[in-house]
Amino acid sequence: MAHGRGLSRRTVLTMGAALVMTAACGTGSSSDGKVRVWHGYTDKEASALTKLADRWNTTHPNQQVELVFNGGNDNALQKTLASFASGNPPEAAYQYGSSITGLTGRQQTQDLTDVLRGDSAFNWDDLFQAGREASTVDGKVYGVPALVDNLSLVYNEKLFDEVGIAHPTPTWTWDEFRAAAQKLTADGRFGWAYVNDGTEDTVWRFLALLWQAGGDLLSADGKKSAFASPAGLQAMQLLKDMAVTDKSVYLDAGDQQYLNLFNSGRIGMLWTGPWDLGSINEDVSYGVQFLPGKVSHATIAGPDTFVVFGENGRKNAVPFLKWLLSAEIHLEFAMETGHLPIRQSEVDLAGYAEFEAKYPGTKVFVDNLAQNVTKARPNIPQYPKISQVLGTAVQSVLLGQAEPQAALDQARGEVDQELAGS
Amino acid sequence: MTADLETRPAQAVRERAPANRPRNLADHVSGWGFAAPAVVLIGLFGLVPVVWSAVLSFQHTDLTSPGTFAGGDNYAKLVADPLFWDAARRTLVYVVLFVPVTLALALPIAVMLNQQIRGVVLYRLAVSVPLVTSTVATGIMFSWLANPQFGLVNAALDAVGLPKQGFFADPGQALFSVVAMTVWGWLGFAVIIYLAALQNVPKDLIEASSLDGCGRARSFWHVELPLVAPATGFLLVWLTINGLQLFDAVYVTTKGGPLRATTVLVYHLYNEAFVSFDGGYAAAIGCAVFLVIGAFTLVQLRFNRRTSHYEVR
Repeated sequence: MAHGRGLSRRTVLTMGAALVMTAACGTGSSSDGKVRVWHGYTDKEASALTKLADRWNTTHPNQQVELVFNGGNDNALQKTLASFASGNPPEAAYQYGSSITGLTGRQQTQDLTDVLRGDSAFNWDDLFQAGREASTVDGKVYGVPALVDNLSLVYNEKLFDEVGIAHPTPTWTWDEFRAAAQKLTADGRFGWAYVNDGTEDTVWRFLALLWQAGGDLLSADGKKSAFASPAGLQAMQLLKDMAVTDKSVYLDAGDQQYLNLFNSGRIGMLWTGPWDLGSINEDVSYGVQFLPGKVSHATIAGPDTFVVFGENGRKNAVPFLKWLLSAEIHLEFAMETGHLPIRQSEVDLAGYAEFEAKYPGTKVFVDNLAQNVTKARPNIPQYPKISQVLGTAVQSVLLGQAEPQAALDQARGEVDQELAGS
Repeated sequence: MTADLETRPAQAVRERAPANRPRNLADHVSGWGFAAPAVVLIGLFGLVPVVWSAVLSFQHTDLTSPGTFAGGDNYAKLVADPLFWDAARRTLVYVVLFVPVTLALALPIAVMLNQQIRGVVLYRLAVSVPLVTSTVATGIMFSWLANPQFGLVNAALDAVGLPKQGFFADPGQALFSVVAMTVWGWLGFAVIIYLAALQNVPKDLIEASSLDGCGRARSFWHVELPLVAPATGFLLVWLTINGLQLFDAVYVTTKGGPLRATTVLVYHLYNEAFVSFDGGYAAAIGCAVFLVIGAFTLVQLRFNRRTSHYEVR
């Protein structure tokens, strides 16, 4: 087809092709002075954060913050590691608490112990313990808490009244919880929902149960598993009794369905955090209560962290993050988003009463954080593997494929092997 | 491609080649010039990753810090890893179901859409809708349709007195549910290919066969089916390659579960690379998948060359 026309046209096209190639190859960027903060916020949270960043930028011309949406927090760790591999990481990135040990070994990740704990104006110890622990590995601080929450019991008041049972109390026992779930269960309706995808979402709910029964995940020195204990058995047995025997638990194959079903009155109780409250329909009257208890009413915090990378991040991202976490600014953020306060002193601010009035459910979450968060997931490199093993164990019990003791024994073997192997 | 076809053009080139050498050279240069952008892009995003992952598979690496040489460790681990063999078995089951079912459904539909009937454009459009629907949307839709407690499918089963099923939530059914979902997603593609092939079948051949006394069924069996064999061959290779690489449909519906029932090879690879951060081992799995795909494709191409004699010229 190229016959007849002169070479000039070919030359032009060849040059065009060469241009395309050059363009495709030349996308390096420099970022001096610019602070790129990766986050996964959408909707209200995104606009609140953007508003604050804009305000910061008007007064800090040399530390301009650029917010970059990471596409969602679920894979924030993977995306951040990919940015390391490409040699162009952000200055700070939002991470789930369970992800931090995947970052601490990297040269890009900054040890912020001196700039955070050593800064009396920032007042590190004023931050809630759960947040501090989630940002700390082996005594070193690698980030600032971005969000502190916990699991509490959220229930549909109307369903409880219809069935004619008393609302949950702060001293509810497992037996009362199980009986209520059973009574709430009817055709096309379940008493409780459990996220059953085998991920950390499955595991952390089990950890709360384990702690409530007085057990723990690992031995005190962290060298061996400790969950295959009488407490672990009780926790697994409760799951089996409810999911397999009573069939009062809706097993959600992901985390996308339970809230829709709660909204349509098909699920009576959830164990969930404040992030779901904003998505509960206005016509659903819900109550929030502490989790039921066995030995204690322990719950688990799911704190997330802004981790800081590179010299530029240490120098220029940290001041912004400190400002973001100051009591007044964070309360402003909380007012718009329904996030829980992140430091003790926030609760004492004049504006806090207004916050409580705006988000009635959050008081229980805050109290729960103060009273019932006593333990945290271990921040160790093996945790992702341990979580996978436990996720499978819990799933096999929920699906009625394994007996509680057998599932625990199998998981104990695999976790001990994983811990010994490092 | 008969022997006769292969020799004749070769002679023609040999005769003309000396006289036209300068122009041929220019043609070659400009030809490669036109192809260069594609060659560079494919090389960059196709070939380089293949070579790079082959290199990674001989390292201990977390994908971000420089790795250390591992020799054959990763491949030894692969051979001894029961999860790998489980995943391989599931992948095989998946492909063995997915490819034939897609083909068996696509051909009759393509034949039906090849008729002169009212509103055929509408039907063709309907068949190709799944093709342009993203896997994420498909996954969410199927999760709700096949929801064990509240899904439409179970409601329909219940209405006719059949027992409700667990689908994606049941370890025994999850893989088959993924097969059903992906067949739905790929059907439009296979139908389009078959439809194009059927429309290429010369009308005079069908006319001739009917003059010779063939009924519609026999002329389909003896004329049309052999003539669309190249399309079948292409689809076989293409669907097999895609089937062996199954990932996204699993990720958006079952996350490899329940109880690893849908952890196919590439999902296992994902787990090793991006959950456990064992990049070297994940690369070794990737290379194994690559070799299997290569072997499958070679065998199928050779087989197709043997069976597709009837190319229309």
